[in-house]
Amino acid sequence: MAASAPVAKPEGGAGGVPLPLRLGAAMRGSARRGDVIRWAGRIGAFIPLLSLCAIMGVLLFEALPAIRLNGWSFFTRSVWNEGTGYNAQIVTTDGVKHLSGSSYGALPEIVGTIGTSLIALVVAVPVSVGAALMIVERLPRRLAYLVGVFLELLAGIPSVVVGLWGAVTFGPFIAHDVAPVIARNMPDVPVLNFFRGNTGNGEGMLVSGLVLAIMVIPIVAATTRDLIRQVPILPREGAIALGMSDAQCARRITLPWVRSGIIGAVVLGLGRALGETMAVAMTCGVLLGALPGNVYTTMTTIAATIVTYLDTAFLDATGFAVRTLAELGLVLMVITLAANVGARLLVRRVSGTALPIGRGV
Amino acid sequence: MNHSHVRGTVSNPAGHPQGDPSVAPASAGPGRPPGALGAALKAEGLASPQTRAGGAAICTLGLTLGFQQRDVLCNIDLDVAQGKVTALLGPTGSGKTTLLRTFNRMNDMVSGYRHSGDVLLDGRSIWRSGLDTMALRRKVGMLFQRPNPFPMSILDNVVAGVKAHRLAGRAGIRPIAERHLREVGLWDAVATRLKDSPFRLSGGQQQLLCLARALAVDPDVLLLDEPTSSLDPVATESIEALIRTLVPRLTVVIVTHNLAQARRVSDRTVFLNRGRLVEHGDTGQVFENPAEAETAEYISGRFG
Repeated sequence: MAASAPVAKPEGGAGGVPLPLRLGAAMRGSARRGDVIRWAGRIGAFIPLLSLCAIMGVLLFEALPAIRLNGWSFFTRSVWNEGTGYNAQIVTTDGVKHLSGSSYGALPEIVGTIGTSLIALVVAVPVSVGAALMIVERLPRRLAYLVGVFLELLAGIPSVVVGLWGAVTFGPFIAHDVAPVIARNMPDVPVLNFFRGNTGNGEGMLVSGLVLAIMVIPIVAATTRDLIRQVPILPREGAIALGMSDAQCARRITLPWVRSGIIGAVVLGLGRALGETMAVAMTCGVLLGALPGNVYTTMTTIAATIVTYLDTAFLDATGFAVRTLAELGLVLMVITLAANVGARLLVRRVSGTALPIGRGV
Repeated sequence: MNHSHVRGTVSNPAGHPQGDPSVAPASAGPGRPPGALGAALKAEGLASPQTRAGGAAICTLGLTLGFQQRDVLCNIDLDVAQGKVTALLGPTGSGKTTLLRTFNRMNDMVSGYRHSGDVLLDGRSIWRSGLDTMALRRKVGMLFQRPNPFPMSILDNVVAGVKAHRLAGRAGIRPIAERHLREVGLWDAVATRLKDSPFRLSGGQQQLLCLARALAVDPDVLLLDEPTSSLDPVATESIEALIRTLVPRLTVVIVTHNLAQARRVSDRTVFLNRGRLVEHGDTGQVFENPAEAETAEYISGRFG
């Protein structure tokens, strides 16, 4: 608002005067207005930082008693017990009030969050990069535009609608028609043996991960598409003129050119996957206090636990359950931040061959 | 020099710059309708041995091509002499770059591209069915207006084509890189930083690197599309000197706006104007004694 006011001011000059001149005149005309703009800019610049610190601070303050009482075992135990039924006693341990018999361990939440996000990325990244290459280099312009529109529409579907589809249609389909086939054919070796065994009822890590993939694909694909569009034609022509195939050109020229940007896009998608709440809560089964047996049976994530357990947590008169949820939220933030930092380090490592300056990425 | 070679008549074998004037100069004028030779050859199904044997690496036969409605090249009959440097000259929009990019089928990707007539490489059509365009482009290398290194190390740049075509095993890669970097005179400058980014090299060095990359896949023909237009005089000179060392091993076709450059590096000169082939002859003759008035005007700087 404040920024646009001087431009609109009629005294700044008649229609024909170029914008910078008019803006300059208006700003000289009113020092106060300039101050407003300057301060609006300063405040605007600090709001993201301030809000991050505020959220972190409040969360930390809320969670501190829980962090003290739950200790390090919070990260290693699989237990979710708010206390002894209807006649719980309020007890004080280390100066922290909680219900007798309450005990919390977040291992299933942490494993579930990372597991669903990994499944989502493993599926979404190749699909997205392939789709982006296809849109830019193969599809005729009209079709590429159409696919782009659908990509953006997909990104705009509310997560609760995706979750509903996942719970009602997609989950049962996976459980009945896909999971049994995979489970039968997977070899019994580490990692892959999580894909064996009981195929569940359609609520589990695999379904949640795939639902997340659907929500991550538009983000990664649209960003990657825009990146690939920026790759200059000259090195690509050079590759073609050298007799490289389209696939070689994409793998050796186009994608390396935008490598760091693609990593950024993947982190964007990962952030979405880690924090996505509703769709996962609707498709994961929210199994508290135990690790899932395999990728088909019910499990939970940090976000799903917080949203589904919050109501119950408010019933804890000592407030300790809510404090534990705050601690859980803090863990999620740390995981997300760690993913961001990790990606930055990765970008620094993989951007081995420096690109020309001003490559427009 | 009093003889003139006009329009697609190459008769001298490689290595003898003074052409044999025995072939009657077929004028572009009333003597013979343009394209008749091409049509005749096409009727025979092959390049005729008298006019085409020995000398020509690339023959175009009545080549007409365009994009969408617009004709860019019109009825071009041209023999590109084997083992020589042929310069394509002409004002902007004369179709010389399009002609150059036809030889390795780089125009195929442009939307609305169409062509009639034929282009023969070593006597065989570049549009024949079953031809592997990637193999064709390996045999017909190209250098562009601006250096276009790939986003990989200097070493990987040189051998990018070698790897893509699997021309050498893992152990053979480095010797190939060294040989071709030496060939273009870049070895001493980059020997200690083969793993570095090519984008830190100067423009001239980058273009030399691209030349080494093109040479590393062992092409028969090298197409140069204004290769020095973005370079300084020193780099230009080194590229030009290199071009002269490539013949007669390779056939070189160079598009240039720079008349002096055409004169310095080429054995044969082709003058194109508005999509038509106006004149083709030995470089000295075209510059000193052009057969066509249009050529004379262009050479003397009166247009273009």
